[in-house]
Amino acid sequence: MEIPTETQPEVESLNKLMKKTLVSVVLAGVALALYRSFALMPGYQGLNLGLSNYIIESGLKDTGSLNLITAVLYDYRAFDSLGESTVIFGAVSGIVLILSRKMLPVSSKGLSFIVKRTLGIMTPFIALFGLYIMSHGHLTPGGGFQGGVILAAISIIFSIVYGSAFDYRRYSPQTKTALETGGALTFLGLGLAGILMEGAFLQNLGFLTAETGTLISAGSIPYINIGVGFKVGAGLAIIFYSMIQKTFEEDF
Amino acid sequence: MFNNLIFIILFMLGFYALVMKTNLIKNVIGLNIMEAAVFFWVISFSDVGGEVSIHKLGEEVTKFNDPVPQALTLTGIVIGASTAALLLTLIIELNKFSGTIDREKIEGLND
Repeated sequence: MEIPTETQPEVESLNKLMKKTLVSVVLAGVALALYRSFALMPGYQGLNLGLSNYIIESGLKDTGSLNLITAVLYDYRAFDSLGESTVIFGAVSGIVLILSRKMLPVSSKGLSFIVKRTLGIMTPFIALFGLYIMSHGHLTPGGGFQGGVILAAISIIFSIVYGSAFDYRRYSPQTKTALETGGALTFLGLGLAGILMEGAFLQNLGFLTAETGTLISAGSIPYINIGVGFKVGAGLAIIFYSMIQKTFEEDF
Repeated sequence: MFNNLIFIILFMLGFYALVMKTNLIKNVIGLNIMEAAVFFWVISFSDVGGEVSIHKLGEEVTKFNDPVPQALTLTGIVIGASTAALLLTLIIELNKFSGTIDREKIEGLND
């Protein structure tokens, strides 16, 4: 009945080694099977590419957007993008619900004077870059999601460099919530405008089109981009803020 | 066919981390590596050696890369970031509740 205490760690490590070996062998088998089945696949040219060819040929004509990926995201598959931003909304709601604690965050004092001044000079340029990426989504690489992440980075850098109380005072959670809701409502409102004016949900608004290549062209795509950008930026900032709130409460 | 090989290596690496590591944060990292492998494979598979699928003004491009897989990948990246954030939040809560993030040492969940 008695298990000698000296041998128990050895048994445990042997168990672990066996488990590791077994899992490695199984994974190697799966990898080999995958590799063999990749060899049986047709190449990309062998697939039925009718949809892709249609989008490449007439995407610019249909939507007025130079960036074909943006055309797919906010015109052909705009309803899917709405669902995607709903997923972000759900994640943010869940995180805030799980980590909810009515408590002013206790701030660290932030980093040194040099870092604070440097960031003070750089912040407007970061914001400008984020807004540029957002509003030029139909002309150059980028779009709402990417620009929104850059905007969220500003809030995160503020929390690290100036301390989280500064971020709380300047951009309170209420402001961020309002921005996020505003972005989502912009998206939905443009969809409803599509019903009223063009006859289908999220149909591209024809009267907003202008000369191809100008900033305000491509129908409702730039506006959807800006709405999505603010929504994503505020959402990610809220996620970061909820997490750091808890951490600081435990530390102090 | 290097992209298939790299995809398999990355995917199996992520799966190994998901199965073998007991630290929950490492599991989330493994899940994200698997995701990155799939995105890498989709993008590299649809690369036919054409231009980036963005029109340039006053310039006729004959061959584009396919924009549809790139748009799908963008969707996937956003969803992946959301799920990773939610998972990490649940891990933070678990750490507060049971004092550990090792999945074999969690106790007191039966009460």
